[in-house]
Amino acid sequence: MPTVSVNSISKSFGAVQALRDVSFDVYPGEVFGLLGPNGAGKTTAIRIMMDIFKADSGQVSLFGGALDPAKKRRIGYMPEERGLYKDLKLEPTIIFLATLKGLSEAEARQQLEPWLKRLDLYDHRQKKIQELSKGMQQKAQLIATLIHEPDLIVVDEPFSGLDPVNTRLVKEIMEEQRQAGKTIIMSTHQMYQVEALCNRIALINNGRTVLYGEVRQIKREFAGNAVVVSGDGSFENIPGVLESRAENGAWHMTLAANTNPQDIFRLLAGRDDLRIGRFEVAEPSLDDIFVTVVKEGRGQLEADHA
Amino acid sequence: MLNFRLIARHEFRKMIGTRTFLATTIGVPLLIVVMMGIGVLAVFLGRDDRPIGIVDQAGILAPGVAPANQDDLLTLIPYANETAAYEALAEQHIQAYYLLPADYPYNPQIEQYYWEDTPGGNARQTIGAYIRANLIGSVPDEAQLRLSEGAEVTTRSADGRREVRSDDFMSVLLPFVAAFLFVFAVIGSAGYLLQVVADEKENRTMEIMITSVTPLELIGGKALGLMAVTLSQITLWVITIVVSLAVGARYIEALQGVTVPWSLLLVVVLYFLPAFALVAGLMTAIGGAVTQVQQGQQIAGILNLLFLLPLFLIILFLNDPNSPLLIGLTLFPTTSFMTVTMRWGLTIIPAWQLVLSWSILAGTAAFSIWAASRIFRAGMLHYGQPLNLQATLSALRAK
Repeated sequence: MPTVSVNSISKSFGAVQALRDVSFDVYPGEVFGLLGPNGAGKTTAIRIMMDIFKADSGQVSLFGGALDPAKKRRIGYMPEERGLYKDLKLEPTIIFLATLKGLSEAEARQQLEPWLKRLDLYDHRQKKIQELSKGMQQKAQLIATLIHEPDLIVVDEPFSGLDPVNTRLVKEIMEEQRQAGKTIIMSTHQMYQVEALCNRIALINNGRTVLYGEVRQIKREFAGNAVVVSGDGSFENIPGVLESRAENGAWHMTLAANTNPQDIFRLLAGRDDLRIGRFEVAEPSLDDIFVTVVKEGRGQLEADHA
Repeated sequence: MLNFRLIARHEFRKMIGTRTFLATTIGVPLLIVVMMGIGVLAVFLGRDDRPIGIVDQAGILAPGVAPANQDDLLTLIPYANETAAYEALAEQHIQAYYLLPADYPYNPQIEQYYWEDTPGGNARQTIGAYIRANLIGSVPDEAQLRLSEGAEVTTRSADGRREVRSDDFMSVLLPFVAAFLFVFAVIGSAGYLLQVVADEKENRTMEIMITSVTPLELIGGKALGLMAVTLSQITLWVITIVVSLAVGARYIEALQGVTVPWSLLLVVVLYFLPAFALVAGLMTAIGGAVTQVQQGQQIAGILNLLFLLPLFLIILFLNDPNSPLLIGLTLFPTTSFMTVTMRWGLTIIPAWQLVLSWSILAGTAAFSIWAASRIFRAGMLHYGQPLNLQATLSALRAK
């Protein structure tokens, strides 16, 4: 049984249609990536799941039914815009939030100490939240999300504001939670984090689910969708290429869906202003796939409006 | 229920740790103590036991006729003429002298002369006592007071349980003081509630809270916590007032004989809970509907006037505490608490008015908390946009 089942939800804010018929399921023991460009509707979808917003249509089922007070205690939620009491001290704030999730004060205190030590916040526990750095606040928010050992963890942009060391630490924690059988929904822009952590993803663009499934399967479907070229000349603005970026002395090109590597090779070889030193088909990264889907979606949208 | 209690306790702890709370809670009693202290000091420092003089041109003060009760009276020295009295004043043998005109008492204007320092209250008291003793010396002391001060009217309720005395100045003053203190404390705390709700909504703390508790638990818990804060604050103030009165009564005559007005306290406690709930509900609704604290405070400022309306009608309270307008304000939920408290020392409020006004207040308060949680919930759904009237009404009608 899926921990979360989102079924055809739609939501509009005035004239803006934020979500259209979005569906996905998330199962225990997986990290599910909810992806999409800014304003795609990811946070709206999460807020509907968390019962902060009501969907105009469609249903959300958590742990096999509607959200109730008992189920709320099984959820750890870290919103995109961090929300901790700025003028309160770190330790009492997290203990208070933990008690709302069903822990006694003593249990919360007991659980909190190892978390504080692990995330290097122990010496700052009596500081006010506003006195902590952005990264520290981020880690404090993560503790508040996990301290009551929730079965469903929903984290919106968990890596924002973190340095590489702390990013790695948070990834380790997410992986531990996944291995412990928890259900994790992660919304982020950082595709390399998604590749490293997520089993399955849903890519939302313009309020619609445009990609949904296993990361490996999606990457297989998009194989041949990117090439790496090195040589002389400018490999930008090539017809059939959605994006060209210079990486490690070579050009990484994301191809449009109707373009194959052979077409591009022929096109580049026929150009007098370019000299090809190396040409190889690359395994597409999620970043490439993201760019392909989002840019084509944008093109489609513009064509629809035209 | 547990979450309700947890939130209330959290708000209580959070609030009592703030500088604002400490400043107002300690500041108000401190101000009362300082004022009482100044009063006591003024009595001591202003006391002048030097004799006073009198020039009796009317010839009504007979030699050897003096008031029976000489407590707090000064020595009165008669002078044959104004020149002699003036010389005595200039040489500071006396602190002041009084000139009784020849046509006194038909012309009751007595002239008072002093050098630099105004004579104390007991100087006038002495003159009054001597004149009374000479004019109506044959009448018993108590009757003398009646003749000089008029009748004291005591109003009693038909069942005899309550009475209001026209000469009991403190019984009139205390309800007014209580009304001001309580209403300002309630409005202050509820204003803080508005700030908390709007702030948490603005900085998204609410998003965390609402995924842990229900809107009613959240709002009810916050209101309960702040009510506990207000009650603690008021208890401290009441203790300070009682102690100050007890101490002050030893030095200030007007405070002697003041007893604890238990019936008033009971009424205040009965009205306090629903009045607080009503204000808290309204402020939460505003906090939930707006997107910025400042917007909410502007609306709340206007709304507060509805609670403070009786304050502008003090003259009407003193002249006609049973006027139709004041009866109307007694029944109107936002003004009932203050109006009932202020009328309490001035008249006997009929039981039907008390029962009806309390019922209306309690009903409105319950509705306000319920509506507040609805509006707050709807406000959460309109992130970044204030709720308009249509959306507010929809939130209230929603199933």
